[in-house]
Amino acid sequence: MNAIHAENLSFSYQDRPVLHGISLSVSCGEMVGILGPNGSGKTTLLKIFSGILRGIGEVRLKNKNIEKYNRPELSRLFAVVQQEPRVNFPYSAAEIVLMGRATYHSPLALETLHDLEIARTSMDRTDSLGFANRYLHELSGGEKQRVMIARALAQEPEILLLDEPSAFLDLKHQIQIFELLLRLNRERGLTIVAALHDLNVAALFFPRLVMLCNGRIHRDGAPSDVLTEKTIQDVYGVRVRIEYDSATKKPQLFIRPSLS
Amino acid sequence: MIRRPRLFALYFRLIGLFFFIALPSSSDAASVGFSRRIVSLAPSLTETVFALGFGDRLVGVTNHCDYPAEAKNLPKVGDFMSPSLEVIAAQRPDLVIGVVGAIDPAKAREMERLGLNVALLSLSTVSEILSSFKRIAALLGDAEAGERLVRKLTLQFDKVTNRVAHTPRRSTLMVVGLRPLVAVGGKNFLDELITLAGGANIARNAPQPWLNLPDEYVVAKAPQIIIEAGMGSDTAAPARHWSDLKSIPAVKERRVYTYNSDKILRPGPRIGDGLEELARLIHPECFDRADSAKGTRCEGA
Amino acid sequence: MKVLDRKKMILVNSALLILLVLSAAACTLLGPVRIDLSEALKNIFSSTADAEILLRARLPRVLLGIAIGGGMAVCGVVLQALLANPLACPQMLGVSGGASLGGILGLIFFPNWLLPLAGGRLGEISWIPLAAFLGALFSMVLVYRFSLFHGRLHPYHILLSGVILNSFIAAVIMFLNSIVDFYQAQGLLFWLMGSLSTRAYVTVGFIWFYILLGFLWLWSKGLALNLITLGEDAAMHLGVEPGALQRQIFIASSLMIGAMVSVSGMIGFVGLMVPHVMRLLIGSDHRLLLPASFLAGGIFLCWADTLARVLLAPAELPVGIVTAFFGGPFFLFLLYREGRRSLAL
Repeated sequence: MNAIHAENLSFSYQDRPVLHGISLSVSCGEMVGILGPNGSGKTTLLKIFSGILRGIGEVRLKNKNIEKYNRPELSRLFAVVQQEPRVNFPYSAAEIVLMGRATYHSPLALETLHDLEIARTSMDRTDSLGFANRYLHELSGGEKQRVMIARALAQEPEILLLDEPSAFLDLKHQIQIFELLLRLNRERGLTIVAALHDLNVAALFFPRLVMLCNGRIHRDGAPSDVLTEKTIQDVYGVRVRIEYDSATKKPQLFIRPSLS
Repeated sequence: MIRRPRLFALYFRLIGLFFFIALPSSSDAASVGFSRRIVSLAPSLTETVFALGFGDRLVGVTNHCDYPAEAKNLPKVGDFMSPSLEVIAAQRPDLVIGVVGAIDPAKAREMERLGLNVALLSLSTVSEILSSFKRIAALLGDAEAGERLVRKLTLQFDKVTNRVAHTPRRSTLMVVGLRPLVAVGGKNFLDELITLAGGANIARNAPQPWLNLPDEYVVAKAPQIIIEAGMGSDTAAPARHWSDLKSIPAVKERRVYTYNSDKILRPGPRIGDGLEELARLIHPECFDRADSAKGTRCEGA
Repeated sequence: MKVLDRKKMILVNSALLILLVLSAAACTLLGPVRIDLSEALKNIFSSTADAEILLRARLPRVLLGIAIGGGMAVCGVVLQALLANPLACPQMLGVSGGASLGGILGLIFFPNWLLPLAGGRLGEISWIPLAAFLGALFSMVLVYRFSLFHGRLHPYHILLSGVILNSFIAAVIMFLNSIVDFYQAQGLLFWLMGSLSTRAYVTVGFIWFYILLGFLWLWSKGLALNLITLGEDAAMHLGVEPGALQRQIFIASSLMIGAMVSVSGMIGFVGLMVPHVMRLLIGSDHRLLLPASFLAGGIFLCWADTLARVLLAPAELPVGIVTAFFGGPFFLFLLYREGRRSLAL
C-alpha cells in the first residue's frame, strides 16, 4: 500500500507557479529524501503532503484522499518536523513534547501516565531528556530541533515528514538524528519523507532520493542513479566529482570550485 | 557739546513713548481707552455685559449665549471652548472677554498675537463673580454700572440669607450628572450658593470643585436634600436613581429635586435669582407666598 | 518532567479561589466610610445606613469588579494566544474602543423622545449600555471582515485593523470631547477611564452569567489554545483546525469585551498584565492559565476598586487609573525579578 500517493500535482502561490505535474508514490515503510536547490518546491511539496496547502491534483494518504481526513486523524497518521520552530510563549521542552499527545486524550482532560511515558521515551530517543524542564526559547537551535523531533515521535505517527531536520544541528547530532531515523524506519517500519539540503548525508542515509528542479521531478531513484555529476551540474549548476565510498558503497560529492 | 544733553533727553522721551504705546498690558485695556466692540466667549459674560447695560456693544457671542433674548440674534463666533479666531477677528473687536480655565490658553495667546485685546476673568467663587462685574464695567468705561450691579446682587443675597438665618442648615447634595455621579465639591461657587441658601454641602471638604462620589459616601452623609442640577431632561431620573437607598433622608422625605437652571449654573448676574430659587428648594418653609415681599424670618426646621 | 498535573490544577485554583473570597469580603468591608458591621448585619433587611452601604452600595460593586476583572484577564489570555503575541490585550481589538464610542454617542445624542417608551424600572440596563454594545458589535464585524482571508483570521491583520480602528475612534472621541459641554465631558471620562459604580444587582447578575458562560467555554478550549500558540501550521499538524478556532475565539472574546465595556467603561491593563503575571507564576498551559487568570483578575480589580474609592476620599478615582498606576510598577517589579527569560522575550 502506498503511504503517500500524489497524482499530477501542481501548485501556485498567487500567480507564481511552484510545482508542475508532480507524480510521486511513497510505499509504506519507505525512506525518501527530497532534494533540490532553494525554490525548487521541496517545502511546498511537504506542506501539501501534510495538509497545510491544497494543490491541484489528487493526494492520497494510505489510499484515502487527504481531504477526507479530519485534522485529529491526520495528526495521528503523520507528524511533521518544521524548519524553523518559533514559539513566542514560555513553554518547557517537556510541555512542547507532551503537546504531541493532544489527540490521544480528551481535550477536557489532562495527559495520562501513558502519555507521559511516551513523551519521556521520545525525548530519551532524541537525547533531549536532559533539558526537559528548561524553557524552549533558552535552548540552542540544535537542542530545539531535537525537542521538535521528540514531539513528532510522541505523536506515534505512521509517516514522518521532515523539512531540513539537520539545518541547525552540529555534526554529532546530525549523525545521531539520521541514525535515529534509520532505526525507526527499520525497526518500526516508519515511513519517512525528508527534504534535505546536504547531498552527502542524503546519499548515506536515504535509500531513495527524489531530485526536484523548477517544480518538476528531475530524477527519482537510488542515490547512485540520482547523484551523478551530470545531474548535479544540470540542477545545481555546480561542477562536482562523484566518488563511491568503499565502506558504504554510497556516492559522495566532492566539490570542484571554479577558482582554486 | 551743549547739544548732547538735549539729544539724550529726546532719546529718553522717544523710548518712553515707545514703551507707552507699543506695549500695552494685554490684561487690562484701560490704558488704551474704553472698549466699544466686544466679543464675549462665555454665556455668563454675555449676560453680565447686558446686565451692565452695554449689550449694544457686543459684536460677537458664543453659540450657547441665549440670554437675554437679544443675545440670540448677535453674530456667533463658535463654541466657548473652541471659538473661531477668524470669525472673531473679522468682527474687529477691541476687547475679547473670556473665562479663565474655559478657554484654551493657546487660543488666548493666538488671539493676542493677532493683535486682539484679550481679558480673561476668573469666575470660580462668588466674590470673583462680583469682581468680574466691576472689572468688565471698568473696561467698558462705566465703573458706576458695575457698582450698581454688585449692590443689586448683594441685596438679593442678603434677602435670602436673612430669611434662612435662623433655621438649622440642611445637609445638601448637588449633582450635575448621575452616571457617573458628579457632585459639587468645595472651592466651587455652587458650594457657596448652597451655603448662602441655608444648606450644607456634604462634599464641601473636598478640595476639588467637582468630584465623583461613591454611593456609600452619600449614604453615610445622609443628605436631607438632593438636587440634580445637570442638563438632563428626564426629570424623574434623579428620584428613580436614588429610590433604592431608603436610608437617605432626602429619599425618605421625597426631597430629591431636579433644578437645572442657568440661573445658578452660569456664574453671571442671575445668580441672585438663582440663589432665591435654590433657597426655596432647601428651605421651602421660609418662603411663604404671602410673606415673600416682607422677608419674614422663619423658626424651626 | 515537570508538567501540568491534577495536583497542580487543584492546588493553584483552590488557593486563588480562597484568596478571591477573602478579597471580596475585605473589599466589601473596606471603604472611605466606616461602618459598624454588627449593626449592618443585624439590620440587613431593613434600611439603615450601614446595611445599605454594605448591601446596596458596596457589594454590587465588588461582585461586578470580580466578574469584569476575571473576564478581562481571560480575554487577555485568549487574545494573546489568538494573536500569537504576548503583548496583546483586549484594548487592541478595537472592540473596547467601539463600545466606548457607542456609549459616548448614546450619551450625547440620547433621543429624549424615547424616554416615555423606555422608562420604567429597567435599572441600568438602559439605552446607553445598549448603544455601547452595538458599537462593540460594529467594531468586531469591521475587524473581522478586514482580517478574514480564506477562512482564517490572520493575526497581523487583526492587530493592524484593531490599531487603525482604535486610532480612528480616538480621533472621533477627541472631536466629540471638543464639542460637548462640561457635563457631557464628565460622562466621556467614564467611558475612557472606567468605573465599577453600580447598585443594580440585575446588571451584575447579567454580566456574571454572560462572563461565566464565556469563561467556561473558553476554558474548554484550553488544549486547543496551547496548540495554536505554537503557530498555525504546527497547530494543524497537531490536530487543530485553526480557522474555526480563531473565528470562535475572536467572536467570543469580542462579545465578552463588548458587554464588559458597555457596563463599566474601558478598564485597561488587567487584560495585559494579569495573564503575564500568572504565566510567570504558574506557566503557560492554558488549561490552568485560564481559570487562574480569571480568579487573579477578579482579585486584582476588586482591590483596585477599593483603592479607587479610598485613595482620594471622598472623591472616587476612575478605576482604570488605579489599574494602570499600581499595575504597572508591580508588573515591572515582577519582570525584573524573574528576568526576561521566563517571558520568551
